[in-house]
Amino acid sequence: MAAAAETSSDRTLRNAFGGVLSFFILLLIGVLAFSIRLFSVIKYESVIHEFDPYFNYRVTQFLTKNGIYDFWNWFDDRTWYPLGRVIGGTVYPGLTLTAGTLWRILNSLNIPLSVETVCVFTAPIFSAFASWATYLLTKEVKGAGAGLTAAVLLAMVPSYISRSVAGSYDNEAVAIFALIITFYLYIKTLNTGSLFYATLNAIAYFYMVCSWGGYTFIINLIPMHVLLCIVTGRYSSRLYIAYAPLVVLGTLLASLVPVVGFNAVLTSEHFASFLVFIIIHVVALVYYIKGILSAKMFKVAVTLVVSIGLLVCCAVIAVLIALVASSPTMGWSGRSLSLLDPTYASKYIPIIASVSEHQPPTWPSYFMDINVLAFLVPAGIIACFLPLSDASSFAVLYIVTSVYFSGVMVRLMLVFAPAACIMSGIALSQAFDVFTRSIKFQLPGILGKSEFDAGDTSSSSVVAENDAAKPDKSEEKLKERPSRKNKKKEKELVEKASVEKTSTKSKIEKRLLVLPLEASVIALLLLVFLGAFYVVHCVWAAAEAYSAPSIVLTSHSHDGLHVFDDFREAYAWLRHNTEVDDKVASWWDYGYQTTAMANRTVIVDNNTWNNTHIATVGTAMSSPEKAAWEIFNSLDVKYVLVVFGGLVGYPSDDINKFLWMVRIGGGVFPHIKEPDYLRDGQYRIDSQATPTMLNCLMYKLSYYRFVDVDGKGFDRVRRTEIGKKYIKLTHFEEVFTTHHWMVRIYKLKPPRNRIRGKTKKSKTKTSATSSPRKSVATKKNPWH
Amino acid sequence: MVKLCVLIAAVSLLPILCLSFSPENPTDRRVLVLLDDLSLKSSHSIFFNSIKSRGFDVDFKLADDPKLSLQRYGQYLYDALILFSPSIDRFGGSLDLAGVLDFVDSGHDLILAADESASDLIRNIATECGVDFDEDSSAIVIDHKSYAVSETEGDHTLIVSGDFIQSDVILGSTKVEAPVLYKGIAHSVNAANSLVLKVLSASPSAYSANPSSKLSNPPLHSGSAISLVSVVQARNNARITITGSLDMFSNRLLRSGVQKAGDSNKYSKSGNEQFVTELSRWVFHERGHLKAVNLRHHKVGETDEPAIYRINDDLEFSVEIYEWSGKSWEPYVANDVQVQFYMMSPYVLKTLSTDQKGLYHTSFKVPDVYGVFQFKVEYQRLGYTGLSLSKQIPVRPFRHNEYERFIPTAFPYYGASFTTMAGFFIFSIVYLYNK
Amino acid sequence: MARSTSKDAQALFHSLRSAYVATPSSLKIIDLYVGFAVFTAIIQVVYMAFVGSFPFNSFLSGVLSCVGTAVLAVCLRIQVNKENKEFKDLPPERAFADFVLCNLVLHLVIMNFLG
Repeated sequence: MAAAAETSSDRTLRNAFGGVLSFFILLLIGVLAFSIRLFSVIKYESVIHEFDPYFNYRVTQFLTKNGIYDFWNWFDDRTWYPLGRVIGGTVYPGLTLTAGTLWRILNSLNIPLSVETVCVFTAPIFSAFASWATYLLTKEVKGAGAGLTAAVLLAMVPSYISRSVAGSYDNEAVAIFALIITFYLYIKTLNTGSLFYATLNAIAYFYMVCSWGGYTFIINLIPMHVLLCIVTGRYSSRLYIAYAPLVVLGTLLASLVPVVGFNAVLTSEHFASFLVFIIIHVVALVYYIKGILSAKMFKVAVTLVVSIGLLVCCAVIAVLIALVASSPTMGWSGRSLSLLDPTYASKYIPIIASVSEHQPPTWPSYFMDINVLAFLVPAGIIACFLPLSDASSFAVLYIVTSVYFSGVMVRLMLVFAPAACIMSGIALSQAFDVFTRSIKFQLPGILGKSEFDAGDTSSSSVVAENDAAKPDKSEEKLKERPSRKNKKKEKELVEKASVEKTSTKSKIEKRLLVLPLEASVIALLLLVFLGAFYVVHCVWAAAEAYSAPSIVLTSHSHDGLHVFDDFREAYAWLRHNTEVDDKVASWWDYGYQTTAMANRTVIVDNNTWNNTHIATVGTAMSSPEKAAWEIFNSLDVKYVLVVFGGLVGYPSDDINKFLWMVRIGGGVFPHIKEPDYLRDGQYRIDSQATPTMLNCLMYKLSYYRFVDVDGKGFDRVRRTEIGKKYIKLTHFEEVFTTHHWMVRIYKLKPPRNRIRGKTKKSKTKTSATSSPRKSVATKKNPWH
Repeated sequence: MVKLCVLIAAVSLLPILCLSFSPENPTDRRVLVLLDDLSLKSSHSIFFNSIKSRGFDVDFKLADDPKLSLQRYGQYLYDALILFSPSIDRFGGSLDLAGVLDFVDSGHDLILAADESASDLIRNIATECGVDFDEDSSAIVIDHKSYAVSETEGDHTLIVSGDFIQSDVILGSTKVEAPVLYKGIAHSVNAANSLVLKVLSASPSAYSANPSSKLSNPPLHSGSAISLVSVVQARNNARITITGSLDMFSNRLLRSGVQKAGDSNKYSKSGNEQFVTELSRWVFHERGHLKAVNLRHHKVGETDEPAIYRINDDLEFSVEIYEWSGKSWEPYVANDVQVQFYMMSPYVLKTLSTDQKGLYHTSFKVPDVYGVFQFKVEYQRLGYTGLSLSKQIPVRPFRHNEYERFIPTAFPYYGASFTTMAGFFIFSIVYLYNK
Repeated sequence: MARSTSKDAQALFHSLRSAYVATPSSLKIIDLYVGFAVFTAIIQVVYMAFVGSFPFNSFLSGVLSCVGTAVLAVCLRIQVNKENKEFKDLPPERAFADFVLCNLVLHLVIMNFLG
């Protein structure tokens, strides 16, 4: 008894110690997640990256300046001219509202951070929150040890870093946190059956709907899991409590967000949840009646109901199918359809197909983005089956679906990353359990001590895995600063685990695996090494691969670092040298940046909601000068902006994207045909290019005066000399070219004051008088 | 280079605007006349005197005067140019083809007269303005049916024409009774050119050929396609008159009587004087010059111009249009001025009603489409300066609290929600206190 | 065949009835409330079928408020039912408090969405 009392107080002390330790570890994990994302701020500057974040930044600026009501109703007349864009109804407000609230709180505490700073650092802060949420989620699935491991893995996984570096102010920064929290609350409700957590779950789901269009993943995954539980006979009333309020409250909350609106009940993406809602009610009713009636009566009831119910069901389903099939896309949106059928977008919607984030990932990108976790995931899946609980079945379902979707679109690797981290965390912590338990068990034998607790068995829920032990060479991720954390983790596990070699001890029923001491020591060391490799890879990926703000480019040459700041140079020129109301036309990639940094009205931008408008711009870029001038003039455009990388070798310039312009333009205006721009099916810009290609506006605007640079016009990206070297512009005039020729701005010439007659100018007299006026193609008459 | 010239032109515009040719006072004041030889001063004195009597400063210079220049230190010295020097090959001083064209492009007027000795320079100036003289340098207009009966000339090169353009603005309200005498070269005008108008066309029996040699090929220019006097109104409202007969302005033809061959009517005075005087009035902006000011719009019931409209708003639009009478701005009265509410295509097109004092106004409802619209007033009438005004205004959709509320058909739903809430309240009381 | 099924049906109803009468009254109150809510929802759907779906947001909020509160009441019933082994450590006050909280959130959202 004394021993028991001693063990119980020991146990509470150990639990308390473990709790404090976990708290500090979590704090350090948060700091780690935050700091690993700061490379871009250190290497470049605190600036917003890429394209989409600029739009979010501009919206946040508007919000902080004008308040939430004006933001909610904002009609933006400076983009998609002349159609305008209703920002309030087409933007997911979660990110903006979060950053705005942060800024407001900080300002009210008299910490005067600028909006830009808050926007830049929102993503690292929320990635810290996301790793804490992963800890909570995995703790529900498997236990605290697995939780800590998974949290650390998520803090460093390169796939998540790529979308949440400091400066990447995009929806995913907040959405991944919302995703994990929603899953955590769902699992918590499932485990406890408490309506309180169900309410919190609905609110977290609401936050997710506000933040990202990927919320449809949640609203399809959870019903799938519920269905799985029902089908595998794991129905319980906790399942009902977890699911039914979520559907009702969740749908209602989702309809509140203007972007979603009635789509929450009308589109096919949500039908699964309603279907399973009905199914779970049927199942609940069946179980209830089964509970009330005797077995015989129940059988009678079943036959009766089945025969009648089947008829009714068929009728209802037939009606539903007719309704759904009547719409051409069967109620699915284009993006969702392209997820289900990866070839759909390239056949029907070239805009979706042209976004580089929507391409399927290559095999190496898996290894780049999740590194060693790719090998740990299968081990984790197996660990989830021993034993299978509701929570672990959910985790398995999550990872299987996210693997499929990540294979369709590289952008969705981001959804796969948390699942991979959870699985790997589970596998890792199990393996660690086995090894440390083996060591702990065998250590007393060697050292002559014999202390092991019987009472601790109930606190551990460790089950041995034969398979997990085998891949001891498998890459195990360790927390960084391996020295400190490693010792802490080991100690904690050692305290939590208890070892009983023989099964003669009465309380324990589990099979415990104990390996030989030397093997486990070596395995532990190997795991530590491989964890170090993971850390090194993650830090390298964060520093080198994912920290580049694409607005500023650098290159290393023999005389040091060379910085290309051409984009900002061009936008600053536009901002200072054009009228406030001037319209700038460019390809849609640069729309957000132009409105945010140059503060000028643009014709099309990255939102790509109006395909016809984009096709108009694409047609203009693919047409000869006069036709392009007509199109741009009808849109009141004053300036045209093209990006050209031929001088410095920047590969994402407009000439490389030109075929997409042709395709998208040709999709709406049939006189633009892609084969006209290809020679023998090949896209060329050298002397073998087709005349249509050499005369189109994009070609002329990109290569105008390019031959003056080196005399030959050698394009460093396409690695050939250009085809037409001496270009005369009749309807456009060049107004600005940046330092490295990366951005070139042209102005539309106003129509000529006088229309010239038909007689050819006589050579004798006027050549003498007109030659002093050496100018580039101003005196030519274009109008006939 | 181009930018520099545009800059100079723009800079030169500014001070000139204050002095003479200003939007407030569009009539030209200083006229430069370039002559081949100074005898033209006397042989065309009626025409020049009529100009001087209207208050213009007329400056005569020889076309090859070495001190010739249109501008000094970036400012134009004259407001209008009369080129009565058909045979000049090269202008003196700093003037050349491009200089003349820049002069026109900066908003100044030009009268150009050629004759059979027209040089390439003059022909090129005309071509740049949209008028093509006959390329055969020895061809002049001959008409064997519509020639003037005269004692001195028998080769039917002095022709008569009464085929005027129908425009009170260009030719004045009084109809020119007597036909106009013409002796010179032909030019043609491209029908697709929207800026050029034929003011005086030749009769259908005219043709352009060398009178002293035999015709070997059919003449290129013939019939009514031959234009004798053309005017060009450029996009910046500079006015140009081009004709192939310098003699048309001469005292001899101005004073002489006219009788068309085969026609019994004998007019004691040809229509030349009235014709060229009215034409010069039009060219120098004494007639037909419009300005539109004060384009205003506001919501019905307010007076300030809002920065943004909402769909289905009611708004009022007004603009004032004045016409220059030669001395002052008079209200312009017309019933065909229209305003468009335009976004890639006109959503609303309304004719403005006038109050006879130059104010044009209308009111309409903003369409049910949101976007960035423009108020567009496009007014191009024959002989008048073109008006092209536009003002951009965005139109927003409803705010979240501007939709209709308390819709009657939805009362059952309101009722249901409230009864549910009441039911919940009652239920919780009953449940809690149930024993 | 029909007779046997009808006799079976009658026997079924009897056994259902007798089983149901045995439930405690608090649960019956909850069942009554659920029935009332579902009935209101059905009325609204029928009304919508006649009148058309404008304004859709009011319709949705009306129907979902009824369905939502019915679902929450069912959850409460599950938690309070003494025959449920899983919830024997859950104090009924806590269950009721959760129920009230969830309903508050639901009705707040309904008020916002009603129009």
